[in-house]
Amino acid sequence: MSDPILRVTDLKMHFPVKEGILLRAARFNRAVDGVSFDIKPGETLGLVGESGCGKSTLGRCISRLYNPTDGKIEFEGNDITHLRGKSLLPYRKHIQMIFQDPMESLNARHTVGDIIEEPFIIHKMGDRAERAERVRKLLDIVGLPARSVTRYPFEFSGGQRQRIGIARAIALNPKLVICDEPVSALDVSIQSQILNLLVDLQKEFNLAYLFIAHDLAVVKHISDRISIMYLGKIVEESTGDSIYHQPRHPYTRSLISAIPIPDPHQKVQREVIVGDVPSPINPPSGCRFHPRCPQAMDKCKIEAPELRPVTDHQVSCHLDFEQ
Amino acid sequence: MALLEVNNLVTEFDTDEGRVRAVDDVSFKAEKGKMLGIVGESGCGKSVTALSIMRLLPQPMGQIVAGNVNFDGQDLAHLDITEMEKIRGDRIGMVFQEPMTALNPVHTIGRQLTEVLLLHKNITPQQATAEGVEILDKVGIPSPDVRMGEYPHQLSGGMRQRVVIAIALACQPDLLIADEPTTALDVTIQAQILELIKQLQSDMGMSVIMITHDLGVIAETCDDVVVMYAGKVAEKGSVFDIFDRPSHPYTQGLLASIPTLETVPKSRLSIIEGMVPGLMDLPAGCRFENRCPHRDDQCTTDLPQLETVNDQHHVACLKWRELGGHTT
Repeated sequence: MSDPILRVTDLKMHFPVKEGILLRAARFNRAVDGVSFDIKPGETLGLVGESGCGKSTLGRCISRLYNPTDGKIEFEGNDITHLRGKSLLPYRKHIQMIFQDPMESLNARHTVGDIIEEPFIIHKMGDRAERAERVRKLLDIVGLPARSVTRYPFEFSGGQRQRIGIARAIALNPKLVICDEPVSALDVSIQSQILNLLVDLQKEFNLAYLFIAHDLAVVKHISDRISIMYLGKIVEESTGDSIYHQPRHPYTRSLISAIPIPDPHQKVQREVIVGDVPSPINPPSGCRFHPRCPQAMDKCKIEAPELRPVTDHQVSCHLDFEQ
Repeated sequence: MALLEVNNLVTEFDTDEGRVRAVDDVSFKAEKGKMLGIVGESGCGKSVTALSIMRLLPQPMGQIVAGNVNFDGQDLAHLDITEMEKIRGDRIGMVFQEPMTALNPVHTIGRQLTEVLLLHKNITPQQATAEGVEILDKVGIPSPDVRMGEYPHQLSGGMRQRVVIAIALACQPDLLIADEPTTALDVTIQAQILELIKQLQSDMGMSVIMITHDLGVIAETCDDVVVMYAGKVAEKGSVFDIFDRPSHPYTQGLLASIPTLETVPKSRLSIIEGMVPGLMDLPAGCRFENRCPHRDDQCTTDLPQLETVNDQHHVACLKWRELGGHTT
């Protein structure tokens, strides 16, 4: 067992909601509210949840695009939670991000060559010729033609743009890449190309991924372990197979049964949950899932369950799974 | 019996670069009381097909240049626009992908819902309001009388989509066209909405055309399927024809490339190489030719026509017989 490359402990990110004439922050959006997990080198942790569950905020806290409210982020044993400015720079090299919409995350006025070269300039690596050589190599790795260097992002299709984003993310040989919905904007036939590329890169460079997505089938394909998030908290964590075959938490069960199966012979028995995700500004008392939970008990309304081990899962639910 | 028959539909757009053919010789039928799925990737022409049927093509760029749309004895493609307005919203309802843009943000839910009732039915505003509340209740919106006075921004995405469905179904249409109705929604909400559409369909006995890129949604809801690629029908048939005996290499590739919960983690997904050709520079032969693993010289020159595999299963591929119609 190797040491984790990333350890997140009780991380919280509360955004102030400014209201009234004085714009005072009377309330907080508890987007991430006490999340803990580890990622080992070369491992993929999948993070699944519906919109507004805080999964993207969590990713941005770890890459330190946000300053977390509370908790601890350790990268290779060093606390990076409160680092700022220059002292953060060495870690930026090791933690990179791939975003959902490559059109928005690539500067439209820069050529592809400039975009991929920029990380080397920021981190003062190599001279002009060396950098050009590295850019050429990176384009080759992600499967883009060398002539792309002088072109602009709009000249590429969605899948190719995502390849540019990936080339930029792996330019500095990072150890951890946070992938925030990297394939959800792509067509199915392109999606599989990008997923294959991500798996190849992981093997070649021993990358660790935090793979954030809402599509459980995609996440299960690429992940070693999966965490299910609901309203700022992790409700269940286990290996992909185990999450799918023996989901424990009622939310995980409904999430899995909600996925449409591309097989007309298989008529799924749905555990359709009612209602919508409540607002993280004013989350329900006790267990946050209780207003939608088909098995909610009185206790669930009062007491928030902690993550506890159940066989090979971590589950945060009051239900007795031993029976 | 077919409620809607689209025959050799051709729709073109005037763009800065010239005229492009977004829908090219597309034919299919929507049977009474059944759900027809149109599946394809972005730019394949599935939405333009729906807009052509509804005569909602952006004007003046979009034009139906050939073909007809037979709906209950009338040709919608050549119908007078005032006649079309009587059918739209009354006999054919439409649900769009993004419920926030489909609803008017400055009007209440009640006003938008009663508008369609007052337009098509000879009733008083009071009756329309009462009916509106009833419809909202039917699509599963809690406290519908309160919701009638609220604005779209006060509702969640799933609730908004229910309102859009309520408006589309207000006049009990014979046909509902749903263009990516669940793409913008979360999976648990998607499950609720698909369940709702299926249930309303069986209650009201209407036909549904479900347009989506999600093969899972197709498998789960549809009776018949049309697979579109680059403006053309690549393959069509019953949902079992398409999923059990896909005969077009594109359908085969599409089905093989989606990761399911059953695939081995981190195994190689089979892929379709390359990408969809632009509508400005379509190949002379088969549109899928540049990505097809089975292409030969004939495919680059000859445009494949739809051929019959069995009575209702048709495929547009020159080599489907040799391929034997198996999944790869």
